[in-house]
Amino acid sequence: MDSGFLQTLEAILNFGLPIFLLLLAYFVGTMLERRHFRSIRNRESEFAQFPVVTFDTMPADWTATSSTLVTGSVVVSLDYFKRVIAGLRAIVGGRIKTYEPLLDRARREAMLRMIEEARRDGYDAVFNVRLETSRLANSSGEGKRTAGVEMLAFGTAVKFTSRFARTS
Amino acid sequence: MKFIPRQPREGINVSDTHPLVEAGTLIVGLTAIFICIALLLIFLVEIALYFVPVEKEVAMFENWLPEDLVTVSPGDERLHQTQILVDRLAFHWADAPYEFRVEIDDSDIANAMALPGGLIIVTEGLLDQVESENELAFVLGHELGHFRNRDHLRALGRGIVLSLFFAATMSNDVSSISLSVTDLTLRGFSRKQESRADEFGLALVYTHYGHVNEASRLFEKWDDDDSTMLDVVSYTSTHPDAGDRVESLKEQALREGWPVEGVITELKW
Repeated sequence: MDSGFLQTLEAILNFGLPIFLLLLAYFVGTMLERRHFRSIRNRESEFAQFPVVTFDTMPADWTATSSTLVTGSVVVSLDYFKRVIAGLRAIVGGRIKTYEPLLDRARREAMLRMIEEARRDGYDAVFNVRLETSRLANSSGEGKRTAGVEMLAFGTAVKFTSRFARTS
Repeated sequence: MKFIPRQPREGINVSDTHPLVEAGTLIVGLTAIFICIALLLIFLVEIALYFVPVEKEVAMFENWLPEDLVTVSPGDERLHQTQILVDRLAFHWADAPYEFRVEIDDSDIANAMALPGGLIIVTEGLLDQVESENELAFVLGHELGHFRNRDHLRALGRGIVLSLFFAATMSNDVSSISLSVTDLTLRGFSRKQESRADEFGLALVYTHYGHVNEASRLFEKWDDDDSTMLDVVSYTSTHPDAGDRVESLKEQALREGWPVEGVITELKW
């Protein structure tokens, strides 16, 4: 029996593999996150003129001809790197800094998708905007593990009587 | 009301800390904490050892066998001869408080274990590899050394420490990391214990045969197999590197002036 080879293999499996996976997840995850943030910023500046407000009744100076419910939903999951670092953080507590950009992306993406839906159908503004999250249970571990999080943005989209109605 | 277009502000909800800085801080900090806790627990195990005298241990583990052990038939000649050899070696350890029991485990991996209550387990794989009684005697003497230093209970304590850590970190992916760290710390202690048991084993072999010829042959054989092993692996192992063990055994024999040549006793099966 070549015990030296087996021990070397064991050492590689025990330490090398997790570190390799961690680095791989970090580089791929960071690249995807940067790309997503770029896309979010571009679309946000594109939609900056589109009014989105959280008032639960329509502002008095808006006169609408029609309204509808618009939604934007995003489902996000963690990469291995974020999960491991968050797991370490969970031992001592504190800000889970690796989750923050992930959920920030999800919130802003959900808002953007809601606005995109409203614009596609020709609406001029959205009021009573709300954000909701729900955890998606993973089928493994009796549903106690998290497969991902859904971020849902919804509101009431309205069409104005005239294009300039809101600039009173 | 006037609508002023504005983009979401950044840098409030998302922390500025670079993910790698966060990762480094946590990994280094937690590793330090884990090592401290492991050291503390080892210290507690040492204290606990004072409160479990050998008599109590023997009484507690009398007739005890590990559940996953696959023993050979009680009439097996090798079992009989190994038991006789252990008894003869133990004779030279004048105040041995144990009545040693030998069992053979049906496993292909060459190994021997010292378990609470004076139980010595040798595997089929080990018996297949030894070619002389002297070789086997050293392995058995080494296990007797563990009993003398009460390492078998420390190993038990280590097992408890590891399962504690496992339970504490069970629910997330970190369990493997923290366990590896703790395990590594504990293995450093384990290697020292092995070296001390080696010394005791060699002394027994010398007292019994009057020479230490072939005592370390098993390790020499393993050392040849280990040529592919990376150096770093020896730091992660529970046992010292086979080559290092051969070296220190040779040094010990030289220091004590024990003859390294002598008549080899054949195995009696």
